[in-house]
Amino acid sequence: MANRTSAAQRPNGSTQGKICQFKLVLLGESAVGKSSLVLRFVKGQFHEYQESTIGAAFLTQTVCLDDTTVKFEIWDTAGQERYHSLAPMYYRGAQAAIVVYDITNQDTFARAKTWVKELQRQASPNIVIALAGNKQDLANKRMVEYEEAQAHAEENGLLFMETSAKTAMNVNDIFLAIAKKLPKNEQTTGPGGSGQGRRLVEGDSGAKAAGNCCK
Amino acid sequence: MLLPTHENVISIVQAKFSCTEIVRTLHLNASITQKGWVDESRILALVEHDSTFALFIIISEKVKPESFSDLTIERAIPIDKHFSCDTDPIPESYTHIIFSIIHKKLKLNFVIEIGFESSNFASEVIRLKEVSSFNVNNFNWLDKYSCGGSQTEIDVQQATMNDQSPDLPIVRQKVAQGHGISANRESFLRYQLSLKEPEYTHLQEFSIFVGTWNVNGQPPTISLKNWLSVDQEPPDVYAIGFQELDLSKEAFLMFDTPREAEWRKAIMDAIHPDTKYRSVAYVRLVGMQLEVLVNNSHYKYIRNVAIDTVGTGILGKMGNKGGVAVRLELHNTSLCFVNAHLAAGVEEVERRNQDYNDINQRANFRRHPYTIKEHDQVYWLGDLNYRITEQSAFQVKKYLASDDLASVLLADQLNQQKDLSKVLQDYTEGDITFQPTYKFDLNSDVYDTSEKARAPAWTDRILWKGKGIHQLAYRSHMDLKISDHKPVSALFKSEICVVDQNKYRKVHEEVLKKMDKLENEFLPQVTVDQSEVIFDTVKFREPQHREIIIANTGQVLAEFEFIKKLDDVSYCKEWLSITPFSGCIKPGEKCDLRLIVNLEQPLESIYDILVLHLIGGKDMFITVSGECQRSCFTTSIATLSRAPVPLLQLTPDQFKHAENQQSSILYSIPRELWLLVDHLYRNGLKTRELFESTALHEEIIRIRDWLDLGSMDPIPGSIHAVAEALLLFLSYTRDPIIPYHLHDTCIAAASNYQNCKQIVMQKMSDLDRNVFLYLCMFLQELLKYSNENGTDPKTLATIFGDILLRDPIRNSRPQANRGKASFIYHFLINDQSSLIMPCK
Ligand SMILES: Nc1nc2c(ncn2[C@@H]2O[C@H](COP(=O)(O)OP(=O)(O)OP(=O)(O)O)[C@@H](O)[C@H]2O)c(=O)[nH]1
Ligand SMILES: [Mg+2]
Repeated sequence: MANRTSAAQRPNGSTQGKICQFKLVLLGESAVGKSSLVLRFVKGQFHEYQESTIGAAFLTQTVCLDDTTVKFEIWDTAGQERYHSLAPMYYRGAQAAIVVYDITNQDTFARAKTWVKELQRQASPNIVIALAGNKQDLANKRMVEYEEAQAHAEENGLLFMETSAKTAMNVNDIFLAIAKKLPKNEQTTGPGGSGQGRRLVEGDSGAKAAGNCCK
Repeated sequence: MLLPTHENVISIVQAKFSCTEIVRTLHLNASITQKGWVDESRILALVEHDSTFALFIIISEKVKPESFSDLTIERAIPIDKHFSCDTDPIPESYTHIIFSIIHKKLKLNFVIEIGFESSNFASEVIRLKEVSSFNVNNFNWLDKYSCGGSQTEIDVQQATMNDQSPDLPIVRQKVAQGHGISANRESFLRYQLSLKEPEYTHLQEFSIFVGTWNVNGQPPTISLKNWLSVDQEPPDVYAIGFQELDLSKEAFLMFDTPREAEWRKAIMDAIHPDTKYRSVAYVRLVGMQLEVLVNNSHYKYIRNVAIDTVGTGILGKMGNKGGVAVRLELHNTSLCFVNAHLAAGVEEVERRNQDYNDINQRANFRRHPYTIKEHDQVYWLGDLNYRITEQSAFQVKKYLASDDLASVLLADQLNQQKDLSKVLQDYTEGDITFQPTYKFDLNSDVYDTSEKARAPAWTDRILWKGKGIHQLAYRSHMDLKISDHKPVSALFKSEICVVDQNKYRKVHEEVLKKMDKLENEFLPQVTVDQSEVIFDTVKFREPQHREIIIANTGQVLAEFEFIKKLDDVSYCKEWLSITPFSGCIKPGEKCDLRLIVNLEQPLESIYDILVLHLIGGKDMFITVSGECQRSCFTTSIATLSRAPVPLLQLTPDQFKHAENQQSSILYSIPRELWLLVDHLYRNGLKTRELFESTALHEEIIRIRDWLDLGSMDPIPGSIHAVAEALLLFLSYTRDPIIPYHLHDTCIAAASNYQNCKQIVMQKMSDLDRNVFLYLCMFLQELLKYSNENGTDPKTLATIFGDILLRDPIRNSRPQANRGKASFIYHFLINDQSSLIMPCK
């Protein structure tokens, strides 16, 4: 193995790998399945009846890469249009965003495109954006072609996957792809905001104070 | 047994338990020294249930709790066969000791004050430990005190989960206090991984060669091969110790000796030729030297290397005697090598024992919280200097001549002291099958022929402690004759815990996921009974309120506050107030919030989204909305003067035209103003304190409705209420009667009536001027009756200056008030009739 890190040989099991913490925000029209994707990713569950989010839900989840551990602070926002003006509170300072649409609803794809534009204008310049075409399990009612979305993603430098919160298809994968694409060095910080690419050095030597993270 | 001061505390603590669980004894104020544990005042309590005992660790918000709500049970530890405890002195502390509790893989160190309380408590715990280990105990009653974990996991996992979560209650508290769990994350992760070590490691045998030689200050004039390279296979690890490397005064005083490099080179020249070695650590104190080498291929698996030296010689601290030690971790096993040179002298047994204890106590590997005994494996080598006392030199030599080592070994001081548990208590030594290694005439195999004729002795020894260590050889090396000692070596096959990387990754990830789960579980959670608050028609200055209920449905304290949106200046609009706008809710409890809307602005509707933020958690949105009813009080003079009928009788079109100033002016002053002033003129000229008393709130509302709706009835409310309504009307008109942009000019001109007059005549619109002069004339009229109504121009000028020249933000420039009053004053004492334009 090329990058056989010393992490695994670390005595007493602690790794030498670093933990990077990133703020990730989910955006997209109401009912496209943002909360469902988070629920699937974080708890491995799916609710047929998922209440519409009125606010911004917060959860954390860690993914392990080869040499680093990425901890996401996930903000699942309210998709209802009347809360649109509040979205910047959540994407400001985010290092990653998943813009979600519903493949059975062309309007939600149009809305996703405007979200991407807004992020490109207003969010941190180096934000990693992923486009998720959710409800892939309903492909027989498809209204948005895969190729169309993929082309849009390519043009705009977005990660793209069709997902299903219901079947779990590509759910972990899209988060993992984001984790891989995120810069792991110290300069991950965008302008303003909290939780900026905090890096926790994990269990290096016993002498170091707990939670020694560079904020 | 209890201190009197504890008697009331015990009843408080008892309140945390059921009546079949009896708090037997307590220790207050025990602090945990370990990293990752939140520094809180803790109470240790011994609790009995059905003849079983458990030690409870309880966090107390106060050093001495005053109520049971100050207490949180952090952990319950059964006193069973897995339980042990120990006390350890703290170096250089005469007031405190460490009381450590060990249960399976959990080890907790408490710092407690030395005294009656601590000795009582510790001895009671130790006594119970002894009693209970003979019984098969049922500790089910402790289940309810274990925390965390999830019900969905199967039992085994549940059990381990509980075992692994010492930090949970603290997490619970701290998260609730807005501290993230992350402070505990690292230690929590490390602890969990260490518990799961068997899942991702396997044992692999490593050969370890340990050698010791007292070289009697001689330089290395011979090869060490016959000592270090006698085995066929090259060992994986070498630990080679010397004593009396240099006996010169310089070495003793200057700590520097050429011998050091010479002997190190001699080692490198003599180690096993079949493999390359690399030095891992090297340490020397005067004549004691220890070098640890490993096979090159293992080097990268060595971590956390540290050394220490302990001098126990002259004055109890000089380095002519004592020990040097190297600690390291090879893969996942911690190793410690100690090379000791204990006190010399046939009779100095006690001294040697003392040196041994001192080395153990004083050796510490700074960067690592490890003492010698805390290592997985310890190899103890050196010139321990224990002799043969009960037999004469002659006798010993006679036994040796007949190869009867056993008889001599019976008289070996080390064996005897060890049997008495006076030294190297937990260590093992292999069978000695070699002759005593001391004392030889130099360059010979002949025991001491000097006058002293000391009895031969096994001064040079190698012992070990720890799991999975198998000794393959234990021998002396008679070929090396330059010293009065012969070198000794031991070869071990030792089990080292090696990490399987793939398995480790899996476990690591699992643990992280589990931590995420806990973290998410302990996020604050609340529900709000409504996310949409709709008010009834909102009317001018008629406050309305709505209640919303926030319920804490999570497991931790929920700290909430309303936060500002983006670039807003406040967390809510000026027409709304929220009480309380921040607070704390305990799990399972609720909090009522009151939203009060009070409209003083000309709005058609109210709308706002409030952001209720949980500290360390999510946000919730609450939408507030309502339709507003317009009122003459907040409408502009220009609009009112164009309104043919009362405001609420206007058709939407009529209102729009009036507001857009499309329709023509119908009145030179607004109807509403005329109605108020006319009423006062006719009924209030002789009323005392007309503008200085406050009316009932309802009276104002009735007058407001009377004006807005229009009515044939007489104006409602007292004369004072009408006066106040007039002031309000003038205070809330969309723009002040004297426009903002003229205020500074007015104040500047205030000393000169002509200038003031000029402003009014030339700079004000006809409508504003009419209103202004109309009011002044009314006030002059009022002043004519000052004998009856008690008013005076200065008072009126002050009241009306403030209103007619009101600031954009209320009360923002109190210093300008005098100027405003002076400006108005002119118009109250000079005749204005000439200025009035003909009224329609
Ligand atoms: N068939 C199918 N249904 C899904 C999928 N994801 C979500 N849903 C359903 O779609 C509905 C809306 O999902 P939510 O997760 O609440 O959508 P949201 O984007 O969070 O909506 P807002 O919170 O209002 O912004 C729910 O009834 C889900 O069960 C999916 O992948 N497949
Ligand atoms: Mg949602």
